[in-house]
Amino acid sequence: MASYTKAAQQWATFARAWYLLDAKMQPPGKIAAATVIRLEGRHKPIYHALSDCGDHVVIINTRHIAFSGNKWEQKVYSSHTGYPGGFKQVTATQLHLKDPTAIVKLTVYRMLPKNLQRRTMMQRLHLFPEDIIPEDIQKNLLQEIPQPRAVPKRLDEYTPEEIAAFPKVWIPPKDFRRK
Amino acid sequence: MAAPSLLRGGLKRLFTGLFGNGWVSPPARALREVVEVTEGNTTTIEGRIIEDAETPTPPNPSGQCPICRWNLKHKYDYVDVLLLSQFIRSDGGMLPRRITGLCLEEHKKIAVCVQMAHRAGLLPNHRPQLPEGHIPKKPKLNRYLTRWSVKSARPIWSRGPKWCKKPMPVGHPLLKDNVKYTQKPLSLNH
Repeated sequence: MASYTKAAQQWATFARAWYLLDAKMQPPGKIAAATVIRLEGRHKPIYHALSDCGDHVVIINTRHIAFSGNKWEQKVYSSHTGYPGGFKQVTATQLHLKDPTAIVKLTVYRMLPKNLQRRTMMQRLHLFPEDIIPEDIQKNLLQEIPQPRAVPKRLDEYTPEEIAAFPKVWIPPKDFRRK
Repeated sequence: MAAPSLLRGGLKRLFTGLFGNGWVSPPARALREVVEVTEGNTTTIEGRIIEDAETPTPPNPSGQCPICRWNLKHKYDYVDVLLLSQFIRSDGGMLPRRITGLCLEEHKKIAVCVQMAHRAGLLPNHRPQLPEGHIPKKPKLNRYLTRWSVKSARPIWSRGPKWCKKPMPVGHPLLKDNVKYTQKPLSLNH
C-alpha cells in the first residue's frame, strides 16, 4: 500500500484471483456457501453486482463430501427431460455414484443469484472429484479457502499418549471379562 | 465344563433373590493372569491378580453415574471418541448398564452417540468379525450426525410446499440440551 506503484495497486485490486477449496469430509451446503461468496465477489470491498468482480474457485475432492443426517438416502434430485413421462428422480447416493461432481455443482448453481450472471459465475467454478488438478489451473491458484467444518479425529488417529492421558471414567468390577 | 458353569449361574440367581432390592451381587473372585515361571527343575504356575492402574479422583465423587462424577453431563458429543470407546465392546456394541454404572438417560445418550460415531466411521477397529473374509460391495459414503440407520432411511420423493416442508432429521433429540459454545440455535431438522 505505501510502497506499491499506482499501477500495481490497481492490478492487485481488480485482478481475478483463483481460490482452492478442499471438500473432503465437508457438507456440500457449507462448501457452496463459501464458494458463492467468492464467485460473486462479495468478499471484496469494491463489490458491485454489475461490475463482474467475481473470482475463480477450484473445488477438489468432491467425491469425498459428507452429508449430515440421512441425506444420502433421503435427499432427492429431480429433473424433467421435457418429454412426456420424462420426470426423473434420483437419490443423492445414485447421483453421486453416477457423477461425483454433480451434487456440489447443483448446490452452487442453486445458491447463486438467479440472474443472467449466474452462468458466467458457473463457468468460473472448477470441480474435480479427486485432488488431481490440471497443471495450468494449479499454476493459477493463489490462496486456499479454510474448510467450513472441523473434521473430527478417528479413534486410530489419536496417539497412544493421548489415549493414556484420558482418564478412565468407570472402573470395571473384579470379575468383569472384557470381550 | 458345562456342569460347573451351570451350578455357578444357579447359585448367583439364588443369591440375588435373597438380597432383594438393588444390584447387590455375591462377593466375586477377581480375574487372575496365569504366569508360568521355570527355574531349573521347578516350574511355578501361579495366578496373579491384575492390578488396575491408579485412576485420578473424579471432580464430583458424590455422583451416581460416571458422567455425573466427572461433570460431563451435557458436554459430550459423537466426536468424543476417547470417552465413548470406554463404554463399548471390541465388536462395537454397548456394555450393559449394570456393569458400567451409568444412569438410564446417560446410557441412552451414550448409545446414540456411539451409533452416530459408528456411522461417521470414527470407530474403525470396533467392527463385528466377518468370518468368511467377505468383501463389502457398497461404496462407503462419508456422513455425520446420522440419526437413522443407513438401511432404514427412505428417500423423500416430494418434500412439500415451502410453508410445510418435510424435514430431513440431523443429530438426535436426546442431545438437544448439550452445552453450546456459539449463539446459533441447534437445529435438529434440515
